[in-house]
Amino acid sequence: MTHAASSVVTGAIPINLEDSVRAKTAPPLNRATSEVPVIPGVADTPARARRAEAGEQWISRLLRGGALCSGALFLASLGLEFLPHSETVHVAIDVLRKSAASALLVTPVVRLVVAGTSLGLRGEWKYALYAAGVLGLLAVAVGAGLHA
Amino acid sequence: MTLLLLISAGVLAGLTGALLGVGGGVILVPTLVLGFKVPLEDAVPASLMCVVASSCGAAASYVERRLSDIRLGLTLELATVMGAIVGGLVAGLLAPAWVALVFGLFTLYVSAQMLLASPRPEQCPETYVPTNYPLGISGSFVAGSLSALLGVGGGPLKVPLMSYGMGVPFKVASATSNLMIGVTGAASVAAYAWRGHVKLDLVAPLVVGVLAGASVGSRLMPRVPTSVLRRLFALVLLVVAAQMLWKGGEGLWPILPK
Repeated sequence: MTHAASSVVTGAIPINLEDSVRAKTAPPLNRATSEVPVIPGVADTPARARRAEAGEQWISRLLRGGALCSGALFLASLGLEFLPHSETVHVAIDVLRKSAASALLVTPVVRLVVAGTSLGLRGEWKYALYAAGVLGLLAVAVGAGLHA
Repeated sequence: MTLLLLISAGVLAGLTGALLGVGGGVILVPTLVLGFKVPLEDAVPASLMCVVASSCGAAASYVERRLSDIRLGLTLELATVMGAIVGGLVAGLLAPAWVALVFGLFTLYVSAQMLLASPRPEQCPETYVPTNYPLGISGSFVAGSLSALLGVGGGPLKVPLMSYGMGVPFKVASATSNLMIGVTGAASVAAYAWRGHVKLDLVAPLVVGVLAGASVGSRLMPRVPTSVLRRLFALVLLVVAAQMLWKGGEGLWPILPK
């Protein structure tokens, strides 16, 4: 019933109610954007707008999660320093700090992967290629011992 | 006591980094070396770790608020990394003292422009369109090279480049720079970590402070007037210029005629 009702004929112009509702309820694209003149029409449908928003939400969550995880582990390691010194405490501090540092360093790299993937899924292959290029060059730089 | 002071230094660096998109290394390295007597070879990787922390902490909020331009960031990031690799390769052929001197004078000029010249009207952060991509890409390439040659972060160069050169609103430029510096910072730290130069005892309190400062800074930034941010940025550029001129002068002094 709902499917049948989604297309209503008003005079000569068929209107897809489902799409019109989606277009009205889709969040406005009031963000800092540079793609409008470069790829016209890429984010002009509600589905693409939703994917764009979802991609940014994932990047934001990822960055926040990485920062919080690393911060909590570093904070826990600082807390352990107040305990009486023993081999176990020393090892625990070391493990916590190494895990925190790893979480912190991996976060921006994963962010780059997520950004490239989400832009690729939106059809913006140019930016997906840029992200892959940055990752590849960084791997070369780190492998060669250069400071990027 | 030292622990609290290190956390406080981290808070200040995180706040500045999040507000201005410079990462905070500009403040942390001199503070650690001069204030805490940390050797420079330990202070630099610790500061880079804090740049990554500041980037992650602040960029999460900026991406959520749609203040960071992910596409522009990716474009300039590619040029920056290329520049960093080229800079690393030609480092042996150039005299770092001269490069530092030229960069110091250039930074001094940019900061004077920001402090003294009347600001140009900006595009709206919601509807702006970056212009002059060739300048932005070549400037980012140079920023990457300088990062490899002199150890300065790209933020002090990229924010004015985006803001003045590409017509990007200052706050968007700062937020985008914040997003970009995390990746390059992480790669730089990885290079140090492979050689065992990262002192996690030093990094732990700094990162805790930086994350707290970046969290506050990223909430403050959208509310602070752009004119105030510009002036703060110009002051930070003055610090960078002083560091670079000092570095250049120190390197050139032995060959100057007596």
